[in-house]
Amino acid sequence: MLFSNAVQEKNVFLERVEELLLSSDLGPRTTNEILEYFKAIDLHQFKINDYNYFKKQLKKILLDIIPVKNDTLKIDPEILNIILIMGVNGTGKTSFAGKLAYYFKNQGWNSLLVPADTFRAGAIEQLTCLSKLAGVETLRTSANSDPASVVFDGIQSAKAKKKVLLIIDTAGRLHTYHNLMKELEKIERVIIKNAPEARLQNILVIDASTGQNALIQAATFQKSLKVSSIALTKLDGTAKGGIVLSIQKELSIPVDFITFGEKITDLCQYEPDKFIETLLD
Amino acid sequence: MLDKLAERLQYIFNKIREKGKISEYDIKQSLREIKLALLEADVNYQVVKEFINRLEQQASGEVLSKTLTPGQQIIKITHGILAEILGEKQNKIKFNDKGQTIILLIGLQGSGKTTTAAKLALSIKNQGFKPLLVAVDRVRPAAVEQLLIMGRKAGVDVFTGVPNKRILDTIHDAEQWARKHRFDVIIIDTAGRLHIDQELIQELKDIKNSLEVQETLLVLDALMGQDALRVAHDFNKEVGVDGYILTKLDGDARGGVALSIKSLTNLPIKLAGVGEKITDLEPFYPDRIASRILGMGDTLTLIEKLEANYARDEMQNMARKEFREQFNINDFYEQLKKIKNIGSLENVFNMMPAQFIGSLKGIKQSIGNEEKALSKVEAIICSMTKKERLEPDVINGSRRRRIAKGSGTSVSDVNRLLNQFFKMKKFLKQQIGKKSLIPFMR
Repeated sequence: MLFSNAVQEKNVFLERVEELLLSSDLGPRTTNEILEYFKAIDLHQFKINDYNYFKKQLKKILLDIIPVKNDTLKIDPEILNIILIMGVNGTGKTSFAGKLAYYFKNQGWNSLLVPADTFRAGAIEQLTCLSKLAGVETLRTSANSDPASVVFDGIQSAKAKKKVLLIIDTAGRLHTYHNLMKELEKIERVIIKNAPEARLQNILVIDASTGQNALIQAATFQKSLKVSSIALTKLDGTAKGGIVLSIQKELSIPVDFITFGEKITDLCQYEPDKFIETLLD
Repeated sequence: MLDKLAERLQYIFNKIREKGKISEYDIKQSLREIKLALLEADVNYQVVKEFINRLEQQASGEVLSKTLTPGQQIIKITHGILAEILGEKQNKIKFNDKGQTIILLIGLQGSGKTTTAAKLALSIKNQGFKPLLVAVDRVRPAAVEQLLIMGRKAGVDVFTGVPNKRILDTIHDAEQWARKHRFDVIIIDTAGRLHIDQELIQELKDIKNSLEVQETLLVLDALMGQDALRVAHDFNKEVGVDGYILTKLDGDARGGVALSIKSLTNLPIKLAGVGEKITDLEPFYPDRIASRILGMGDTLTLIEKLEANYARDEMQNMARKEFREQFNINDFYEQLKKIKNIGSLENVFNMMPAQFIGSLKGIKQSIGNEEKALSKVEAIICSMTKKERLEPDVINGSRRRRIAKGSGTSVSDVNRLLNQFFKMKKFLKQQIGKKSLIPFMR
């Protein structure tokens, strides 16, 4: 609990708020910004012992400084929709791809999954297993083939089968590897060239346990290609994923989805209200 | 990996180092900046708080009484605290002398257990053991296949057992099989799990209860934030952990995880994953990391790498006085080529002292990515005549234009290269009389 009866002093109060925000990975800059708000408040009028009241205030501040986006990811049934999934290693891209395919299947969009992670051993097999669970198809391909050519095949196959949705799973890459980022840019070029009419959305997958580095990840991916939105994974742990608030604030990249478990159903749309609520719990 | 934090701290230190007198305000300001730097590096806020408190106490206590300038004093104190947190000797994996060594790899999903398992197996194999990998990650689809493929790459056998058998039974089967076929190290790759998942944590406890596990290693992602400490703490409390393997240190994480877990759980970080290749697993040397954060360069790691790649007599050659005095472009080229063999230039830069990195980073930044940088340098050097390489002083304006033309580069590229060369030569001359084995690296 944030407050005890003994705690009345403003400094102690601010320190506690700081702790709460920092421990949720909001980062020192955003945290300091929020603290400024509280410093400005006359705490005599502020119900310092009422946690719910405090939470409401904090939520207001957060919603105030973080831009809210209006357009969530939608499928246009008239054209080919392509979702490119990217991110650093081990964030859960492949699992997310499976869950996303399942999510859209339930909305009536039968997708084609493209395993463009031809680098990590077992990645293709993993996606194939997941696609069976999701009840969708996976493009057949072999390990060690060029990811851009796999994507090319995927587009051709989607066109031939008249699919509305193509979900591409790429290999994990640390944003510090120049060549791997170039590879991703090449994949995007191949898509734009071969499916110019398609609607391309690039989703960056971020692990909720990631710290301040996520901000650098998002900025660096953004430099290579447009990051349409973020998917925040592994929210079933104790990490709160507060860094996505800083990402939204600093880079204006919205969050579209969150995932929270190992089941294929463990995915839902991001709701800022709810997210901040759990952040403060 | 930790250079961003190092850079930040050095920037702060440089500001105060020059000052003869430091006011209360300066100290406060520095402390605030150090705090921000640590928090942005994902050091746990409890650790940061303690760090800053101690720094504040010690700094205000004795600044005036010493011969050091107040700025130097603060740096010294910071170094002391950092060294205390990180500064133990390197911790190796314990092997069972009498029989089988069992190593259990545990961790969250996506921390890099399977990749690490294969890297570890290869490293252990190279130490002369006969390791066996055991795949018991039945949760993530295709995890067993991944380990099989990685094992094949490492040249290490993988035990998978029968899919429907209980995990504990599979491990026992693996142990029997290993005994029969004389494997002396067993590495168990478990499924990723949350530290709060009681059922799966129990599974780990059961494994530890029924086997004599020498090393339970928690694989932790270096990119993690504040939650890392909680994860480390919980796994240790529930399952018992002997040490950590920190992965993804090839990213630009600022190393907060390393500082935090060492400080608050007091368990050693034994190994570090530093790349995508199967050989990219290194011992973790805490004391060297502390020096690196404070900008002294990780010279020891570099020397070890160099020793593995250099012939001994060559090193002695380099230590000779004449060599240092007559250092010419041919030598320079040889050095560059060797650096190429040691690993990426980035790695090498990270390990050198700050004063020297500047000039080398210059080469790199001016030419872009490292492979290209080296081929450009190669082209320039190959366009020089023998005489020019031996006596670079003769390279005048028109020669520079010719070299640029011949190598398909620009005159400014050639100038840059020569500048770097002369800097290095000057540096070497200054080093004459010092004992270092690899003079220009020090």
